[in-house]
Amino acid sequence: MKRALLVAVMLGSAAVESAQQVPSFQVDPFWPQPLPNHWLLGSVTGVAVDANDHVWVVHRGYDSMTARTEIGAATTPKTADECCVPAPPVLEFDPGGKLVGHWGGPGDKYDWPVSPGGITIDPKGAVWIAAAGPPEIPGAGNVPTPTRSRTATTPSSTSSTSSPLPRPQDAHVLKFSRAGDFQLQIGKAGSPVGDDSTTGLNKPANVEIDPASDELYVADGFGNHRVVVFDATSGAYRRHWGSATQFKTVSCVRVARDGKVYVCDRGNNRIQVFDKTGKYLAQAAISETTKATGSVWDIALSRDPQQRFLYVADGHDQQVFIVRRDTLEIVGSFGDGGRIPGRFYSVGSVAVDSKGNVYTGETLEGKRVQKFIRR
Amino acid sequence: MPGRHAVIGSSFFAALVALGLVERALERSAAAEVRVMAPRFEVDPFWPKPLPNHWVLGQVIGATVDDQDHVWIVHRDNLLGANEAASSQNPPTASCCVKAPPVLEFDPSGALVGHWGGPAEGYDWPSSNHGITVDYKGNVWIGANEGSDAHVLKFTKAGKFLMQIGKPGQSKGSNDTENFGRAAKIFVDPKTNEAFIADGYGNRRVVVIDADTGKFKRYWGAYGHKPDDTSLGTYDPNAPPAQQFRTPVHCAELSNDALLYVCDRPNDRIQVFKPDGTFVKEAFIAKTTLGDGSVWDIAFSKDPQQKYLFLADGKNEKVYIMARDRLEILTSFGDGGRQPGQFFAVHSIAIDSKGNLYTTETYEGRRLQKFVYKGIGPVPREQGTVWPAR
Repeated sequence: MKRALLVAVMLGSAAVESAQQVPSFQVDPFWPQPLPNHWLLGSVTGVAVDANDHVWVVHRGYDSMTARTEIGAATTPKTADECCVPAPPVLEFDPGGKLVGHWGGPGDKYDWPVSPGGITIDPKGAVWIAAAGPPEIPGAGNVPTPTRSRTATTPSSTSSTSSPLPRPQDAHVLKFSRAGDFQLQIGKAGSPVGDDSTTGLNKPANVEIDPASDELYVADGFGNHRVVVFDATSGAYRRHWGSATQFKTVSCVRVARDGKVYVCDRGNNRIQVFDKTGKYLAQAAISETTKATGSVWDIALSRDPQQRFLYVADGHDQQVFIVRRDTLEIVGSFGDGGRIPGRFYSVGSVAVDSKGNVYTGETLEGKRVQKFIRR
Repeated sequence: MPGRHAVIGSSFFAALVALGLVERALERSAAAEVRVMAPRFEVDPFWPKPLPNHWVLGQVIGATVDDQDHVWIVHRDNLLGANEAASSQNPPTASCCVKAPPVLEFDPSGALVGHWGGPAEGYDWPSSNHGITVDYKGNVWIGANEGSDAHVLKFTKAGKFLMQIGKPGQSKGSNDTENFGRAAKIFVDPKTNEAFIADGYGNRRVVVIDADTGKFKRYWGAYGHKPDDTSLGTYDPNAPPAQQFRTPVHCAELSNDALLYVCDRPNDRIQVFKPDGTFVKEAFIAKTTLGDGSVWDIAFSKDPQQKYLFLADGKNEKVYIMARDRLEILTSFGDGGRQPGQFFAVHSIAIDSKGNLYTTETYEGRRLQKFVYKGIGPVPREQGTVWPAR
């Protein structure tokens, strides 16, 4: 049986001359390995790869599940014998796709998000998670909200996969050790602040670490319209830029080795490029005609020394664009709509390992992590 | 000497405890190693082939295989939301995706070779599709399970309308002889040209009609009783077995030896009848299952004796492989999840001439999957996700 499916598609003649250099991928339908304990992934909001090529996933767990049909073994009373149960919200997979770590959920010293957003692992091994608030996507249909799933059933009190509600509105980011020990919270849940604040956040979508300066870049986000930078060790405010007139939905921020900062302006269907001080350098439209949520959900940089390519997850057009970083020109794409391997519903996260393999996360009812092997 | 007795007593107790633990451990390891001989399957993650035109599936609510080993499905295109079917909106909000037509035909390689369906003059397209069957004459039957649906439809393979039995909004309950009550699935007996209808989501009966004229011939409820639409209340696994079917009556499949297997879904049981409605026997499956229930759909193995029965359980997310004669579960495969070989609400099951199984998933599962038959061999009692060896 042919286990590999070619999913890379070259777009147009522009790609022809550099076709050999444009990365191509094939989906691995058997990555990750099946979860133990009849655990289910909820809406996946973040995917990251650490220094050991372990893949980290954060998902909405219980709060994104339909209690009546999906998690019959996690309701009171149980309606199914063993299946299924929401997996813990933070999951760590080894390169073979085996689950090697899991944690997350409410604790005494921090505010676990109403809904997580992006996740990133810093060079020291700390795990950062944005508290992005639940997705507000018109027409997404059957997307349980925390309130709805709560009234539908009561989770078992011993379950580590559920979280007490009501929880205050997400307005913060969290830092944990890789074992899940709480280290730092920036911003106060329930106290959203505006685009000019130096103390807090408002539904930040995603996080990024600049190892060169030990700074945390926050895509802030779904409530605000800016990039804000903090000291990654102390959490002290450093600087910010952006406003409601500049950005529509700031869903990601990525820092390249050469110091360029890439911002997902999702609702405006564009990538904007800055230097680390926030000085505007360039922009590129991605799928200009996309309406509704917009096209630019997340960005990952290729792992070659020059970081020649950006991988842009478009969770509304259901594909990943391959963009030349120097020209910001789309040179390829892969994916399409669907629930079979290599296809997407709401691909909202993307990450790359040291071998160049791409990992995607699907939110809403996609609820998958997929691996695309670099050919 | 109470002290000495106490010592003897406690060490005796300790020995008992130790023995008990050892026994339990032995049972556990034996359970893990138990193998049964049964049909083996592996999921094919690349079947079917990707749909063209950015088409996507809604809830896939029926599956059947025709005599050319083409696989037919029916899905609820109408339930695809504005976010997922973004290209079907006016104006489109993205370059993907488009609602696929409700009836899709795949060849054995998994290529889409036919598609049709939807409202048109001359018949009432269901407000909610449910169940698809290609009969021995090559005609396609579709059920209808929601709201005012009270009919079944018959088409040619090309989608040309042939017959409608029942009228929407006209159901008079489980003793109506002209309309159905949100019918779930149809089986046509090649020997008698009778169609057996699992009726259904509103009614609590099996109906037999003439497959050419649509004329009602007979019908019956659980245990062969006259059906009664009185509410049964909520299913209680500890209560005596219900004397009526609990809606939905979800499948009615006739074996080669003329036994009709009925899915009494929320009652967690299969009831077996002669074609005339005489009750033969029943079997309970995952009896503690609540809500949607455990007995969703049935397919028989392809050997002449139909030695095995395959049962889809969309609540516990697995397919049971049963000895048909004893109605005994030998093994099961599947688990919850969105990866190949896993399920979210596995709703329908069908088998081709080579013994390969096809499953479809409703709710947010929305897939058609193929499980390749690998012959009879030793398998564990619970197989979980059946992937090929890598």
